[in-house]
Amino acid sequence: MGIFKRLWAALDERLGLAPLVEFARHKEVPRHRYSWAYYFGGLTLFFLGVQVVTGILLLLYYRPTAEAAFESVQFIVTRVPFGWLVRSIHSWSANLMILSAFAHMFSVYLLGAYAKPRELTWWSGFALLLLAMGFGFSGYLLPWNELSFFATRIGTDIAGKTPLVGGWLLRFLRGGDDVTGATLTRFFGFHVALLPMITSALLALHLLLIQKQGMHVPEKLAPEAKSRPPIPFVPNFALREATVWLGGLALLAVLAAFFPWELGVKADPFAPAPAGIKPEWYFLFMFETLKLLPPHVLGIEGELVGLALFTFGGLVWFLVPLLDRGSERGKRSPLFLLLGWLVLAYLVSFTALSLAGVFQ
Amino acid sequence: MIPRAVLALACLAVAATGLAAPRPGTVGPPGKAAVDTCLDCHRSLDETRLSQPAEQAATDIHRLQGITCAGCHGGDPRAEDPEAAMNPALGFVGAIAPTAVPALCSSCHSDPSFMLRYAPNIPTDQAAQYATSRHGLALAKGDTRVATCTSCHGAHGVLPADDARSPVYPSRIVATCGRCHADAALMRAYGISGNEVADYQQSVHYAALTQKNDLSAPTCNDCHGSHGATPPGVSSVSNVCGTCHLTQRELFDLSPHKEAFASIEQPACETCHGNHAVHTPDDTWIGVGKDQVCGNCHVADDPGGQVAAQLAARLTGANSAIAATRERVARAERAGMLMDEALVQLEEAHQALVLARNQVHAAALAPLARETGSVLAAAAKADRLAQAAEDEIRFRRTGLAVSLVVILLAAVALLLKTRSLER
Repeated sequence: MGIFKRLWAALDERLGLAPLVEFARHKEVPRHRYSWAYYFGGLTLFFLGVQVVTGILLLLYYRPTAEAAFESVQFIVTRVPFGWLVRSIHSWSANLMILSAFAHMFSVYLLGAYAKPRELTWWSGFALLLLAMGFGFSGYLLPWNELSFFATRIGTDIAGKTPLVGGWLLRFLRGGDDVTGATLTRFFGFHVALLPMITSALLALHLLLIQKQGMHVPEKLAPEAKSRPPIPFVPNFALREATVWLGGLALLAVLAAFFPWELGVKADPFAPAPAGIKPEWYFLFMFETLKLLPPHVLGIEGELVGLALFTFGGLVWFLVPLLDRGSERGKRSPLFLLLGWLVLAYLVSFTALSLAGVFQ
Repeated sequence: MIPRAVLALACLAVAATGLAAPRPGTVGPPGKAAVDTCLDCHRSLDETRLSQPAEQAATDIHRLQGITCAGCHGGDPRAEDPEAAMNPALGFVGAIAPTAVPALCSSCHSDPSFMLRYAPNIPTDQAAQYATSRHGLALAKGDTRVATCTSCHGAHGVLPADDARSPVYPSRIVATCGRCHADAALMRAYGISGNEVADYQQSVHYAALTQKNDLSAPTCNDCHGSHGATPPGVSSVSNVCGTCHLTQRELFDLSPHKEAFASIEQPACETCHGNHAVHTPDDTWIGVGKDQVCGNCHVADDPGGQVAAQLAARLTGANSAIAATRERVARAERAGMLMDEALVQLEEAHQALVLARNQVHAAALAPLARETGSVLAAAAKADRLAQAAEDEIRFRRTGLAVSLVVILLAAVALLLKTRSLER
């Protein structure tokens, strides 16, 4: 018996791993015209893995204080061997991860995969997307440059508009009344400890639920899926997914080599905010909508109305497995399908128009 | 020897001071706005000539400091009856004649003990200075078209000179002087062209004053004087310009041009830079060619012309080195490289170039060559950093190409394996 077989036998004897192998051996992925949508979740996971690895490497040199943060990132990208590559990949991968997560969420929504019995998977995925955006928001400040400083000030200002708890929330996020070194330290804590801890737990639950419930097949595609042989998860689907991951890796390499992430100018809290401050692209739809709202709507502050609408919209999106009552019987409401397309059109159009400078 | 006209005006001022000193009851306590019946009546008069002064008095520094109309015009500011208020027996003089204005103003403004109560930090020699000015000298000869105190400061509604609304605030001086000095017809009588204001408005000084809001930039009074306004003579031009341009003046004083210019009665700075239309200097000015300033006195073959050619060559070389390196650094920046260190070196090169340009005033090759040497050294350092960045970009692109090949091969291998499994 070879050394690997003996090692496996020892582990199996102690941990009972054989059922897991058996499960993987029998796991299958349905084959139909929208099977490609199954790759987005795995791709998001791949980018998350890249984030973890590059994030740990950055941690070796990064210093989370207002005095040293910018200089430490500058040191990473100029002096540390391949530091520029690690930092660029970390930044690009963060953006691609959120893009991939959005694609995953909309494919799940539009194919109706949120329906019973997958409510918990939908809810945990929704929370994971919010956490990913939280990662983006907290990580954006860490280089302590001019753009990130003022974008964080605007972002936390918006959070401070929340009724009743706004003032408390603002001070909790900032660690004081304004964005300072205390905010940076706090955001660093969120970024490398609090958010990863919650994300790990939720991600484990999310993956466990997917394994438990298997891949969802839309009702309309069930005949097609039945007529075609499913894809064995191991090794066929795993190999296909690995090919997609390699595509993601190649994209990251090209972006990092040709468009290294900019460092900008060190933040100066006493300088006036430069013109054209914008948040990261995945917050643009919200940012531009709030800007378009009139100062007052029915006597209530416009931004407050906007925040209330976004909260309500988010709640509807979150509760869609319960609201779309026909979905559990495989009969999705056309209204919710239309809602999904409208939300997608709104997000894409507002983000694209903002990036094109139409709202300026 | 003091000119007779100055003596006459000084005597007039001293005499007027005694005659026009504010009488008791016409001046209130400092810091408390004056209340007088003149304003109450004059505000309601239909004739603008009479009502406007009362309106303007609302913001007048004198009224706000407790000085009534009677402080200048005489009369009784407390009387309700117009006849009593404007009683000549109480010193009422009505409108002040232009020739009497300097003496009237100086009756307070030349009195240090009086001014101490209101503005202890402003000078009290304005009348003495005015008496020596072109304006004062002409007024003493009876020319009432020349500027007096009120021409610049206003008569009623006088604002402190540091109030941005005041006509003598730095950014408004040009317009104030220009009311007369931009009038070519009026200026012809005094042998002045009248285009000085238009020339100044094209200058680097005016641009600094109006575009950068740099209040330290010189305007009319900074070179000509305020109350003692007079054109700087040939021998004093370098003193005037040197007030701000200290280094250039020191270098010029050491240069052979100092004595040469004096011997042919050429003003120092003005000969090359002009007077009112002082443009941003350019390295291309140096030389004996067409539109080059050295050519006004030198030819290519004389020693001065040869030095000028060498100065120009050094500066051209320094400029070219900076421009070429800046372009190379910018290219690396556009490729995403962080070029902070190279930019610092370029800034050092630029600083050295500024010093080299200064050395042009010494009209000597050695000091300028020393500075242009510093320019070339700093530019070379920046260039080496740009070279290193270009090497790094090549390394990255090569690394990327190798990585992509490896990734592509791996992906193809996976696809082939998947296909063979599913066949």
